[in-house]
Amino acid sequence: MTTTPDPADLRFPAEALLTEPAVEEVIPVGEDVPVKRRSNSQWADVWRRYKRNKLAMVGLGVIGVLFVLAVVGQFLAPYDPFEQNLINTLEGPSADHWFGTDELGRDLFSGLLYGLRLAFIVGLSVMVGSLLIGVTLGAIAGYLGGAMDSLLMRITDVFLAFPYLIAAIILIRAFDPGRQHVYPVVIVLVVLAWPTTGRLMRGQVLAAREAEYVEAARSIGAPGPRIVLRHILPNSIAPVLVYAFTGIGVAIVSMAGLSFLGIGVPTDEPEWGRMIAAGFKFFQVPGSSYLWVFPSIAIVITVLAFAFVADGLRDSLDPKLR
Amino acid sequence: MVVEDIGLDASAPLLEVRDLRVHFKTDRGTVKAVDGVSWSISEGETMAIVGESGSGKSVSAMTILGLIQSPPATFPTGDIFLRGRSLMRMPEKQQRRLRGKEIAMIFQDPLTALNPVFKVGDQIAEMVRNHQDVSKTVAKRRALDLLGEVGIPNPAVRLNQYPHEFSGGMRQRAMIAMALANDPQVLLADEPTTALDVTVQAQIMALLTKLQEDRNTAIVLITHDLGVVASHADRINVMYAGRIVESGTTDEIFYQPRHAYTFGLLSSLARMDFSRQERLLPIKGQPPSLANVPKGCAFHPRCAFTTEKCTAAIPVLEPVGGDGHVAACVHSDRVAIAYEERVVTP
Amino acid sequence: MGKFIIRRMAQGVLVIIAAMAAIFLALFAIGDPFSSSGDKVVPPDTQALLRSKFGLDKPLPLQFVIYLKNMFTGDLGIDYDQRRQVSSMLGEALPHTVRLALVAIVLDILIGVIAGIIAAVFRYTFWDVLVTILTTLALGVPVFVLGLSLRANVTGHFFFPAVPRSAFGEEPFWLAEVILPALALAVTDAAFVARLMRGSMLEVMRADYIRTARAKGLSERTVIGRHALRNSVIPVVTYMGIGFGTLLGGAIITETIFLYPGVGLLLFKSIQNNNNPVIMAVAAFAVIVFVGLSLIVDILYAYLDPRIRLS
Repeated sequence: MTTTPDPADLRFPAEALLTEPAVEEVIPVGEDVPVKRRSNSQWADVWRRYKRNKLAMVGLGVIGVLFVLAVVGQFLAPYDPFEQNLINTLEGPSADHWFGTDELGRDLFSGLLYGLRLAFIVGLSVMVGSLLIGVTLGAIAGYLGGAMDSLLMRITDVFLAFPYLIAAIILIRAFDPGRQHVYPVVIVLVVLAWPTTGRLMRGQVLAAREAEYVEAARSIGAPGPRIVLRHILPNSIAPVLVYAFTGIGVAIVSMAGLSFLGIGVPTDEPEWGRMIAAGFKFFQVPGSSYLWVFPSIAIVITVLAFAFVADGLRDSLDPKLR
Repeated sequence: MVVEDIGLDASAPLLEVRDLRVHFKTDRGTVKAVDGVSWSISEGETMAIVGESGSGKSVSAMTILGLIQSPPATFPTGDIFLRGRSLMRMPEKQQRRLRGKEIAMIFQDPLTALNPVFKVGDQIAEMVRNHQDVSKTVAKRRALDLLGEVGIPNPAVRLNQYPHEFSGGMRQRAMIAMALANDPQVLLADEPTTALDVTVQAQIMALLTKLQEDRNTAIVLITHDLGVVASHADRINVMYAGRIVESGTTDEIFYQPRHAYTFGLLSSLARMDFSRQERLLPIKGQPPSLANVPKGCAFHPRCAFTTEKCTAAIPVLEPVGGDGHVAACVHSDRVAIAYEERVVTP
Repeated sequence: MGKFIIRRMAQGVLVIIAAMAAIFLALFAIGDPFSSSGDKVVPPDTQALLRSKFGLDKPLPLQFVIYLKNMFTGDLGIDYDQRRQVSSMLGEALPHTVRLALVAIVLDILIGVIAGIIAAVFRYTFWDVLVTILTTLALGVPVFVLGLSLRANVTGHFFFPAVPRSAFGEEPFWLAEVILPALALAVTDAAFVARLMRGSMLEVMRADYIRTARAKGLSERTVIGRHALRNSVIPVVTYMGIGFGTLLGGAIITETIFLYPGVGLLLFKSIQNNNNPVIMAVAAFAVIVFVGLSLIVDILYAYLDPRIRLS
């Protein structure tokens, strides 16, 4: 993202010079290496690197504003997003209706605010849900290995054998054929998201399991769950968290894509994808493009903001990957 | 070998580095990786550059090959001459023709230095074909001969294997075969044995010596391992924090060190050639960051001989007796006496 | 190597059967379309007749076994809507989807790989920043937003045919028809590929063997084109394989937007009227293609990286 060279990029050759393997004839004396509290300085380091990424900071700001809007939006909204007004349909943007009204006279701006709230709820729920399931199962499979591991891998194999959208469509139809609720969408997106999280977690745990500090913990007789929770998780969860965070944007777009196809959220729910699909039906009517353009802009801004932050998080947690 | 190049001077030293400086600009300040280094080497000679990690020894070798990219590097002063031709003022294209043909290099870790996705034989043949106008078959044939020459058993099979199928020692042999494919005049060996087992180290060094005798190659041996240097080098340059602090023949360095840093290195080394020896003395502290080199003599914070004179100015290399034995230490006399006291020479 | 392929193939077959069982179960949960319209529209005995005609009166596991058996003879059943052979419906849609997937993947490779290489080789220059900005934007725009924008503004102009096709006109040239949906599909993927390629290339450019290649006196073009590219393209190949597999399974959203008569549109239509035999067939096809391509990618991977090949 940034254009100024980062010290991490100078690994070759200047950095390589500074980090050549230690040489035997030098025996460092304790006096000159101040011992820092690792956890604090680590997060401070992450934040310092994160701050340097301007786009990531912009993303964070936008998400902050959107979050506030999502929380207090229902008080800000000038109209009830479900309220129909049949004498005032398909009105373009005006002082009364900032973003105009839809074919049933519902206020588009209020609808967008409602959709924002929905996007946050669904995005965050999917992230938390897939993290809980994926991290738990992935850690168990990775730490125990053997039959548990094979079982989990085969299950995820089946899940990952489906093209994402096809799986989502069929599952949602199976869960909720009548399109009555929003929660089946969350459940299905979690069901489809956890296998990747789980696999990532498993790989991380597999790598950490062999590390010397885990060996050390085992040698002093620490019990298995304690080793996983205290020693393995803190050292291996960062990439999983970044991945899960990326999942927020994916979940928001997936929900919108599904309802764009007329699947998932109830038919009258002011959901961005559904609003786009409904609005696009009128695209040949002159002056009606606001119907699908505004929700499109809303979704693009939200997704971009989350993508910027996810990028920044990834870069600052693992500067080598830039 | 190549005579058609303009500026070739048969009387000039084979390879000469003159007042070379290589600096890098980073967030943490200017890293002075090489800061005014001069040396030269002639045919059949083995010259060692010895120093701790971060002393600038590898960077100077990479600069000779033109592998240091600028930016981020800058070269404030200095030049490098191959038979009197300036490598630094030579256009990149011409420099490239010398790379691998007249100056070749082998690296510390032969596993990462070989491309994992190409067969070893192809990687050697590529080196041949890049500098000689021969067919693929001939190049492959030459690769086969080279693998045999560096002592790889069953070379016809090994030719078609990938680097990860070789053991560490075999990989380094393959690297050497590749480096010598065009019979270069100068071989830069950057820590060639550091990544290897001790027994294999000796084999590799013996191989290098043998090949050197066959071809009269000049070898620049870059290492932190004084043990390797003692038995193979003709001359030694000791580097510290980007500068040469002492230079002399191997005997001079080992038996009459005149720089406090050389003294420190030798005092931390177990010696078989002395009848009696005092306890090993490690050098305290760590090498300085090259972005922030101590004032005056860079070694003074770690030195046992430090006085105020050490911080006044950067000491320059001065003759300390012998033929070309120089040291940059204001206390070279005290170092000499201390060393005499420390060891009883045979 | 042979063993590895056979083991992976066996695994793949098992995964496909498990996945198909899952679809079967899911479709059963959705219910059959003959009862959902209500008893007044379709009388109960007609419903029963229809159910037995389509084999829905048998126990579910038996239905599944029969389905698998028929599938091997190329019989995918008969659709509920027009009473046509599902296999022929799939056969009509497939060439369209294959064309779309091929054009999209070619665009992916062309745009993504080249942009990624440029960004990596000219790191921190204008070109790198440009690629970074463009890929970030592209990744933030959902395919339906991009597709709709193209459909609203570009179809019917230049040489692009109007959507929907006019009822009487002749069939448009396939490339003209396919290029806009392919573009909509390719943009996101190409952005992803570009980033993957850039990251992978930068990682490889730091490797010791690149330094060796330069020390051999190879030209920068050879160093990048031969030594760096071969190593850095490995993760991209994996991603492309999976992307291609997804595309072949039907680009549902894009095909729907452009009313492009491929597998995705077929699936969309069948979902709208609970046409289970078609959903089943398309989903099974998608899974088979997807798993098959993963296998091919694994083999390709082993070919590209000898370290994997022999272990």
